[in-house]
Amino acid sequence: MTGGTVLRLEDVDRDEALLETIAALHGDTRADFLRKAVLGSAGMLALLGAPPSASAAMSATDLDILNFGLRFERLQASFYTEAESMGVVGKMAPRKQEWARTLGAHERAHVRIVKEILGDRAGPRPFFDFHGVTESEDSFTRTAVAMEDLTVALLTGITPRMRDRALVAALFGLLTTEARHAAWARSIVRTTPAANAFDEPRSLDGVHALLGRTRFIVSAPRVRRRRRAPRMTG
Amino acid sequence: MRRTSDEARLAPAAGSGRDRETGRTRAQAMRAAIAGGVLVGAGALAGGWMGAEPTAGRASRTQDVQILNFLLVLEELQIAFYAAALRGGALSGDLLRFARTVSPQEREHAGLLRKLLGDDARPAPRFGVEQSASHAATFQADAIDLEETIAAAYIGQGASLTRGAMRDAARIVAVEARQAAWIRDIAGADPAPRAADPARSADDISSDLRRRGFIR
Repeated sequence: MTGGTVLRLEDVDRDEALLETIAALHGDTRADFLRKAVLGSAGMLALLGAPPSASAAMSATDLDILNFGLRFERLQASFYTEAESMGVVGKMAPRKQEWARTLGAHERAHVRIVKEILGDRAGPRPFFDFHGVTESEDSFTRTAVAMEDLTVALLTGITPRMRDRALVAALFGLLTTEARHAAWARSIVRTTPAANAFDEPRSLDGVHALLGRTRFIVSAPRVRRRRRAPRMTG
Repeated sequence: MRRTSDEARLAPAAGSGRDRETGRTRAQAMRAAIAGGVLVGAGALAGGWMGAEPTAGRASRTQDVQILNFLLVLEELQIAFYAAALRGGALSGDLLRFARTVSPQEREHAGLLRKLLGDDARPAPRFGVEQSASHAATFQADAIDLEETIAAAYIGQGASLTRGAMRDAARIVAVEARQAAWIRDIAGADPAPRAADPARSADDISSDLRRRGFIR
């Protein structure tokens, strides 16, 4: 990495997925949004000579770590999206709905951002089975709290391991967003949002093992078993 | 012009526009980077649109000392701010619980930074926090500002640290972001207003805190 050049999340938001999310979530006026977008495109025009994606020059370590990060972000995005589509979020109190919808929108934006960074080296989308935890408010909420704290531990661990300092800078801005999610989730369940002075990292292997135990990531798509028709008797 | 130790401490390599090691201007460094095939983001060239870029220059102990001293000032400012608020007795309920919880956390952060700095840690400047900490409403508004500021400072500087210091910066900034979300939640503001948090330059933060009288 050449000193002085830093890639940040905003910088890779080339299809403006992130800007759209921000604008949609936080009521930026259309004009304001466009003004910012124009500035962004002007910057991009100056860079036509640059490679289209950071992935070409990415080290194997960074590639592996980022692809793991992508799986994890996809897991989170699917989790919130599924709870919304099941109608569980819609039945929550207004403040809690805002929390669940914001986190879902952010995780979906993170997926697009990490995919953009990885370019054609992004791994395939895995299949998820949440084993019913997205189907009730209580289990959804408890899983969300655990998942957000786990994400913070994962990002605290992987951010300083990225070789490319541009990616380190980008991940710092993602780490703080996930820490906000975790604090907000803890506030929702009335526990202390910042319980310790330091957030301790978890290794990639540790997170991988934990995820394995949830069986949320499966090798084949989830097929809803049809309820067996009652056996005819007589 | 000779800088006082406080000024030097509040102005690490970031934002000077000149790479201290090579003497190149930032624009030259960026052009070189583009020529070298490194992807430079739109935000960096759009200049200030999304915030400033982190410190230029190769990670080194010298640069760590500058950055960690800058972050130490911000942690010390928070310590002074929460101590004044807890002394003043204007807080109650959620705000009191918040101040009582985060105050010792900031002391632990400063302790770790001092340990990393060793003999290179510089003494704290003078802070102006009494007025803001003496009313619940101003405390709440300024606590949000300070927590947001320090999170943005770590985001801006973290990638420029050597690996060991970077690991500790990650452990700290996650907690600063949690604190920011917590106090925003208490205030009824959106705890996570963006899908990704922007960085702020050290120069921007330093001049802002001086202008507002937090650092004298």
